[in-house]
Amino acid sequence: MSDVLNMVSIILISSLRMSIPMALTTVGAVYSVRSGISELGCEGMMIAGAFFGMLGSYMTQNVWFGLAWGLAAGVAISMVHGVLHISYRVNQTISGMSVNLLGIAIPPIIMQFLWKTKTLSPSVPSFKKVNLPLFSDIPFFGRILGEMNVLFYLMLIIVLLSWLFFSKTVFGLRMRMVGENPTVASTLGIPVKAYKYLGTALCGALSGMGGAYLSLGQMDLFVQGMTAGRGYIAMVINAFGRYNPIGALGGSIFFGFFDSLQIIFQDSFIPSAVMMMTPYVFTLIVLVFGLKNLKIPAGVGKHVDEQ
Amino acid sequence: MIQEHAMKPRNLLKANSSLITIRTSLLSLLFAIVIGGAIIAAAGYSPLETYAAMFKGSLSSRKGIVLSLTQATPLIFTGLSFAIAYRVKLVNLGAEGQLYLGAMAAAVVGYYVQGLNQFSHVSITLLASATVGGLAGLFIGYLRIRFGAQEVITSIMLNEIIILFTSFLAAGPLKGQNSVTVQTERIASTAMLPVLAKQSQLTIAFILAIVIALLLAVLLNKTVVGYEMRVTGFSRRAAETGGIKVWKIYLLTIFISGAVAGLGGASQVMGVNRRFVEGFSASYGFSGISVAALAVYNPIAVVFSGIIFGILRAGAMTVSRTTSIPVEFVSVIQSLVVVFMAAPKLGLDVIALPKKLYGWIQQIRTRQTMRGGQAHE
Repeated sequence: MSDVLNMVSIILISSLRMSIPMALTTVGAVYSVRSGISELGCEGMMIAGAFFGMLGSYMTQNVWFGLAWGLAAGVAISMVHGVLHISYRVNQTISGMSVNLLGIAIPPIIMQFLWKTKTLSPSVPSFKKVNLPLFSDIPFFGRILGEMNVLFYLMLIIVLLSWLFFSKTVFGLRMRMVGENPTVASTLGIPVKAYKYLGTALCGALSGMGGAYLSLGQMDLFVQGMTAGRGYIAMVINAFGRYNPIGALGGSIFFGFFDSLQIIFQDSFIPSAVMMMTPYVFTLIVLVFGLKNLKIPAGVGKHVDEQ
Repeated sequence: MIQEHAMKPRNLLKANSSLITIRTSLLSLLFAIVIGGAIIAAAGYSPLETYAAMFKGSLSSRKGIVLSLTQATPLIFTGLSFAIAYRVKLVNLGAEGQLYLGAMAAAVVGYYVQGLNQFSHVSITLLASATVGGLAGLFIGYLRIRFGAQEVITSIMLNEIIILFTSFLAAGPLKGQNSVTVQTERIASTAMLPVLAKQSQLTIAFILAIVIALLLAVLLNKTVVGYEMRVTGFSRRAAETGGIKVWKIYLLTIFISGAVAGLGGASQVMGVNRRFVEGFSASYGFSGISVAALAVYNPIAVVFSGIIFGILRAGAMTVSRTTSIPVEFVSVIQSLVVVFMAAPKLGLDVIALPKKLYGWIQQIRTRQTMRGGQAHE
């Protein structure tokens, strides 16, 4: 019995851990799509967040400043997407991809300059596990919560606040309106472009944070290719969660479970390469079969002329 | 503008090969190189000297030119792959995976098929790579037309799956004996591509790339299928109204796109590495986007833009030996090219920015002096 419980808690712990970067990025993607912009740049924003988060932590020797750097880098690189698509009306697939290409291109150069290596950064200060005094005494959940760091709680707060933003505030309603029908929104005097920029910037900030979790929470360094396509997977989770922050969290935990399988089956007879495929195969299956009757916000990719 | 188009409807479907687009391409490249220069300067090197060294390394000697063309070969393949798909407005980001799959097919056919003469062995190997790459593309196309799955994401997911799968093959069942790193057995000498220059890795793959570019140009511009492809790319609805079977066009195009990327992989195995090596692609797949964008998705122009990026890569390789500027520096230029090609006005606006700022400052000053005057009154 205790073996089963042990296994369950290991699965839960790694699923929840894997879900943190996904949930952060996907909630960012919710802001992006809801304000009418494709979230294709998430991968690049995550890489920027992961890399500059690590760099910030390295430079300042303070993990919170590192997180702030990651967030800022995410916003900065998201503006490439924003300016190209919103102001210059570039096809959003191309503008999103240019963010991803930039995100891939920048880290190796800076790493080469600083440490004469392109693939691996030195170890930097990272987030530690949080021990909540009251909760840690609960037999089963205490152990699970004891394995989480502060970003887990931060993620939960962000998901909740985002849900409140979209369903209870007038700004959230306006943002959704911009995403559904920018022309009508503009007629009503809503600053469409400002909302679109806001959505893109929030997407950059949260994706940057999601990336920073990888380099500062999950590990304590940056490895080239550490995001491993999570930004693209976030797009699928986003659609899976019906462009809703709560759905994004649920989808991320679901995804986190599949991502954690590779850790659980690490030493089994199944080759590791095959296990590593599971998240991608799972994403493909969701993309093909799990998105029936999907309603994408109608105004995604549409422009409107403002006075 | 609209009237002009109405008078000459054919213009809408013609490839953008006018002087204006060439100017846009050159300007975008220039902007990207200038910003790249700023990065070099930030790293503490002289941009002019570095660029001079780069071009000297890649253009001044016969060896340099050969290296440039060798580097250009896979880029032309992946550039063509992205360009042809984008002409029907499909975004095939799967070139990287199709490249790996084509390379693995070449390694397998090149090693296990024995006893053929060079011509037939090379042909069969190339055919196998193209077929396998094309089938990978076809799968993406099938998911799109059957389930409506966005090819942008499916192709990326397939990339990850394929790369892991080929690594698994190269590390396990197909691993070469006596090799420490993850790679397959060396292919038979009959499957190796003939070299164009002695003691180099420049093979007839380069010629093959150019031939395929020409074939694609003919296909697009001189055949009925090509016409239907261009109509589909211009407006899917118009194509459907006109009785074109769009799904057929999609499938055909993505098959060609995947096959060309697969050939790119074969060119690396049969000409450069002589075997499948894990992680052999220096992100050739994604570089194809930049190559195609710079060429405005015109197959013939892809050859030239591929050579341009090949020159830059070869130059960066020479420079990276003596400075701490890595080869990846070129990827920054590549991604900036995509940015500037997408928004040609952006570059000009950036140049005009200081002037604009000056104008604003002037305006604020005059306002302040006016206010000052009013206050005095």
